[in-house]
Amino acid sequence: MGLIQGAATVDRLREEIQGVRYRDATSTFCRLMTEQDRPLKDMIKAAIASTAPYVQVPSHLMQLPNGELRGVNYDHTILGWRGAISLMGELGGSRGILPNIQAMWYVPQGLNVWEQVICEFPGHYARDGEQCGKKFPGPDESVNRFDGPAWNAPRIYFQDHDPIEGGSVDERLARMYWAIAEGDKAEAYGLFLGLARDPANRRRLKDAILFAGITDLQDTIINRGGYQNIGHKALRARALVDIADYLGWDNAHELFYTVVPDLGCSPRLYGLWSEICTICKMELPGYAAIPKRSDKPLNERELDILTEAIVWGGPFDVNAAIMGFFKRGAGILDVGDAVIACFQRYLIDVLEHPNAFLHPTHALDYMNVVQSWIRDYDNPHQAKAVFMGARFMNDTIRSNANFPRDPAFNLEPRSNYRAWADDIPIDRLLPILKDHVLAQDAPRSCALVDSYLERTRERHDLLDTITYAACHWQNDPHVMRNGASSLEEFRHNRTSRRDDIIRGYVKHQARYVKRAPTHDCFHVYVDYFKPANA
Amino acid sequence: MSDDQTLAEFWRIRNAAAATLALTEEQMRRAVQAATVEQLAALFEAFSPARSTGPEWTRTFDPLVEHLWTWRDSETIAAVAEAFRARGIPWASVANALSPERGGRVRAATPHPSWARQPAFGLV
Repeated sequence: MGLIQGAATVDRLREEIQGVRYRDATSTFCRLMTEQDRPLKDMIKAAIASTAPYVQVPSHLMQLPNGELRGVNYDHTILGWRGAISLMGELGGSRGILPNIQAMWYVPQGLNVWEQVICEFPGHYARDGEQCGKKFPGPDESVNRFDGPAWNAPRIYFQDHDPIEGGSVDERLARMYWAIAEGDKAEAYGLFLGLARDPANRRRLKDAILFAGITDLQDTIINRGGYQNIGHKALRARALVDIADYLGWDNAHELFYTVVPDLGCSPRLYGLWSEICTICKMELPGYAAIPKRSDKPLNERELDILTEAIVWGGPFDVNAAIMGFFKRGAGILDVGDAVIACFQRYLIDVLEHPNAFLHPTHALDYMNVVQSWIRDYDNPHQAKAVFMGARFMNDTIRSNANFPRDPAFNLEPRSNYRAWADDIPIDRLLPILKDHVLAQDAPRSCALVDSYLERTRERHDLLDTITYAACHWQNDPHVMRNGASSLEEFRHNRTSRRDDIIRGYVKHQARYVKRAPTHDCFHVYVDYFKPANA
Repeated sequence: MSDDQTLAEFWRIRNAAAATLALTEEQMRRAVQAATVEQLAALFEAFSPARSTGPEWTRTFDPLVEHLWTWRDSETIAAVAEAFRARGIPWASVANALSPERGGRVRAATPHPSWARQPAFGLV
């Protein structure tokens, strides 16, 4: 820390971000706040502004010279910020800064994704996923040049545009949705900017952009390679809404530039949406009038039926179960809460391989977007979105199940450690839980949580412990995003199985594959912010 | 439980299903014991994600491994394992499932109570 020369400035931060100097950028980000008292909100805006032109790709499908297609990853920088902003309030105090430092650490590594996957720009996709350092080593083979710094400027694939105005709000919202669906990025973005100018439009605009994101979802990822979006359109829409509300809509232009054009990027996938619309038209003609909550939430037997359908059944089993609940009078959020809770049995009981968490937890995060949309807005299509989320969960589970299970990644049963956990005094349990999450010891972590949940009604400190431990791991915005989803859904869930969300959460955070074995970013945070009980 | 159904009736239905399953297991045991290394390898090849008929089929991989370790000799299983080990990482789950260490654990963990017609195989 003492070796850093020169003043920390926003210009310097921008240069370090665009130059893929993520360690330097993170230090500058911290110095701007600790040495110059610059507000975190302003620094997040500055970081988003630095990256906005460089996170677009021409398509999320790339045609290879032999005619085959490969997928191109979605921008994750904005997802890290959304998770971090959400967790800031959950962790509180200087601990709440940590997820933001993790988001900052990731940002310079997540630019120019198209160039990264073809090994022409550094970053985490090039360094880790594509293993470009092995394919195209630099002059010093002991240094992986794909860890940064960049050797050329990041590329801009979509220039900023002017707002499009004129016409009624209804017409412009309809045009925007159609432009997204048709892939006319410029029209969609321009219309969004025009609508966003007037505060009176913003609530409807948020509803519309979430609807656009939620409806674009692949029907299956089984053997699909890159022809899927694993919910990223919805995840980006939610990030836009949350971060714009945090920054202020008049202060969020670069955020709009980051998110909106990509909603119309290829591939756009409406097969599942079409199927759900069809079956609702046939079987549930009153879908638009289903209440959000009813006096007929799912009973224990129905929760078992839904668990069986999502975790072990096929897509039509899921359709049939949910259709039955709606037809007998359950509310939209009654069923949505049940979908979130029942899915947890997959995390708790079935998942073992660290790599296999990725797709199912994207489905969980997608379902969180669905649930928050239903909670916060009124839209006649909301019952359909519950089918979408449950089908996505079921599909990722089936996709994993299409691979034979590898016994090399067996997990010991959590029950093996229950007696050990029960012997730990309750007031000493949480620090031990933190240590076991950090050690990625899932059986003991899960046993500790099982024991804690049965011995006390306290939940806040438990969730704080798991989340703070999870935020030690760097290079991965999924961690913050899933933390935000799990905590939000736990808070709102009204099923009898609400605690299963915590059981699934700790299993995920104590087992999911990590992108780096070290905690360098966490140590930068400790150096600058000096949290108590780090 | 409805008025016209009794626990005894449910138990009779369960027993009929168990009898059917026991006969099926016996048929499968004879087929597995007669199979060549090549035939066993061909069966495992059907668990490739590209050839699987779906998750319902692939989920029966672990029970198949359990049955193989119960019914076949270690030498034959080692020969099948070697064929898959040579194919590299995509087939690691098959090779690992047929490793001697795994076999020892499966054999130790598959109980066959004296009152049961068959060992207590996993059911998917």
